Amino acid sequence: MTPDSLPRSASPLAGSSNRRTALIGAGAGLVLLLAAIGLLARGSGQEVAPADPQTAAALAPKQARSGKGGGTAPAGQAGAAAEAPPSRFDATTCWRDLERFNEEVTLETFREWAAPLLASRDPLVRDYLKARLAELIGNDAGRASTVLGWSRDATPQEFGVFMMALRDSEAVHLPQVAAQLVDLGLGERVDPERRAGILSALDTQKRLDPAALDRLSDFAKGPVSSEAGWTAARTIGRVLKQDFKQTGNAAPYLDELLTIGEQSPDEQIRYLGQMMPMHSAPVLDAEATERYAKILATEGNESGRDVAAHLLSLSQDKARVLELFAKTFETDPAVCVRWAVFRFAARVSGKDALPVMAKMAIQDPRFQPLYDEFERLYASGVLDWVRLWNSLSNQNPFGCLDRHD
Amino acid sequence: MTRLSSFRTGALGLIALTLCQLLPTPASAQAAPSPAQAPALEGETCSVQGLMDQIRRGLQSKSAAYKNYLRTLLRESAVTLPDNELRAAFERETDPVMAEHLAAALVARTERGADPSAMQAVAERVLEERDPAVRAATLRAMRRTSALENTGDMYERLVSDPSPEVRQEAATNIIEDIQHVYSGFYGPASDAAVAAATASTDPQVTARILGNLDTQKISAGSASEIQSLLSSDNAEVRQAAATALGGVPAEQMASARESLVGMYRDERDAGVRKALLQSIAQLGFSGAVPDLQRLRSIDPRLESEIDAWILVLNLGLQEWSLILREKQWLQQAP
Repeated sequence: MTPDSLPRSASPLAGSSNRRTALIGAGAGLVLLLAAIGLLARGSGQEVAPADPQTAAALAPKQARSGKGGGTAPAGQAGAAAEAPPSRFDATTCWRDLERFNEEVTLETFREWAAPLLASRDPLVRDYLKARLAELIGNDAGRASTVLGWSRDATPQEFGVFMMALRDSEAVHLPQVAAQLVDLGLGERVDPERRAGILSALDTQKRLDPAALDRLSDFAKGPVSSEAGWTAARTIGRVLKQDFKQTGNAAPYLDELLTIGEQSPDEQIRYLGQMMPMHSAPVLDAEATERYAKILATEGNESGRDVAAHLLSLSQDKARVLELFAKTFETDPAVCVRWAVFRFAARVSGKDALPVMAKMAIQDPRFQPLYDEFERLYASGVLDWVRLWNSLSNQNPFGCLDRHD
Repeated sequence: MTRLSSFRTGALGLIALTLCQLLPTPASAQAAPSPAQAPALEGETCSVQGLMDQIRRGLQSKSAAYKNYLRTLLRESAVTLPDNELRAAFERETDPVMAEHLAAALVARTERGADPSAMQAVAERVLEERDPAVRAATLRAMRRTSALENTGDMYERLVSDPSPEVRQEAATNIIEDIQHVYSGFYGPASDAAVAAATASTDPQVTARILGNLDTQKISAGSASEIQSLLSSDNAEVRQAAATALGGVPAEQMASARESLVGMYRDERDAGVRKALLQSIAQLGFSGAVPDLQRLRSIDPRLESEIDAWILVLNLGLQEWSLILREKQWLQQAP
């Protein structure tokens, strides 16, 4: 369905709201295509939100459906609430004396003073506490260290707030603070789930120095890295995105993520290593092309072969990739991998890939109507692969996106 | 009582006394309230008046976290606050900052389907308000919402507002709505943006909107309107129109490309010429290379620009955003 074909609602406002959701969905369609959902699929229980706006965008509709803006009903309201008809919207909570909390709270009093607010499970005040604690930490390494020290005996609710505040503080960019996070996150002094949360606080780093990158990578691909290893791989991918955007430098991160993607015995971590570079869309040199080609040919996990096709579509060596895609289409029995090499062939060479795609459609007639649509769109003058993708009548003809849920 | 028991009692008392001096005294046990005494935090139902008082005082706070919390709290509370109280507070508010908060709350009621007419009330105030600072502030409250398609010709009127601040706020709203609300995918909204850009009597506003507009879903009529601006006397407007034409739908691409290539020779402004080159590249990808090669000798100042485009287009990338990115890095390289 194209955005223009969406039916109008009887209520123009509700209609516009629905349509906008659909439009944002269309914008995020590429993200869904990229199978980024896997990023959040591993239920760590950690409360650190994704730093990746694309991932957040992909997640947003689910969060919106679950209802937002609530908070517990204030004391004394429970009886009335029980009798009143259910409201479409959750009531918010206003906090008496929060103004004084804000003006007088210090790092020393924060934990004690914030406790009743956290216990209320009011999401708005929780977000405020994260942001206020980040302000209290400021650019002070000692304060950051104090908050990091709290992570050992913090309650689960406190822990999420502390780590997100650290992640968003200025101090997290100080080398000694980043080093402390790496040490504690990779060490044995805290339990594995907490280590994952601590490593997530590194997600906002502008770059990772070679030593930190090595340590995170070694840990992630290790035999027993578990939850924290998965987070370490994700952190490398997120910092790659930031550094690449600023400097165009992807090589060291791509190398480590590929190594994780090749060597981790844990399928989910391996997949993350293979997939995270997708968010940065680096142009692959000859070495990276060969490494992804090997993943496409040998990875047992279908999703991993799918993302390998995605990454290969940005290789410098277009002829090599088209040849590889043609061979993969012939030999790979998974329809989702075939669909990946089929559509990404167009991302390799645009309309010049049509002869290769036509052969694929002959080999597997399920692809003939798809080929016809690609051909028609290219004939109409469309050049940009993103526009072409957003013009397809069905972006998910084989149900391949659903398998990531 | 034996001597031993007496000794024990005395010793324990001494130890207890010593410990009392060593251990911190709980705040609640202190006689006088210290400055660090915890605030009596207590949750209660939000009210319009209570929130407004809290926000008014909170504006003095140095904490951005607190100010952001209050803004979010009012917006999230808007759907459950009494509508008449909220509207009355908005109507009588004359402070621009407070008016912006209240307008945002009313807009949130419409956006969340709680009150279809609340946004209209805000739009009416924007159009009728005498104070330009309040007009501008109230207009900001409609940013990144469905206002572009739900407020009639409001933007076409505001882009010619007597206040430059209001005109610029209107331009920002249009740009951000198309980018963040519609992602460029909703043609009628993009057409409304083009209509506002062409209706403006302020060339800076026209240029700002068109220079930042995703035109992938505009109508043939809108594309034609933009093409007519290529002959504007104002170089900024010509540059923005050239940029906007680079993104038109497939059906308009050939005509746009022809106009831009044809215009390059006679154009004298280097900024406009750069925009023409970019859009020629966008409309042709690697197919634009022959045109670019032909244009190379016309302006020696832009030879290196054309060389950069040719180099990047020859990479064969199939996404415009990636082509732009590679071009940017190429020119940033030492």
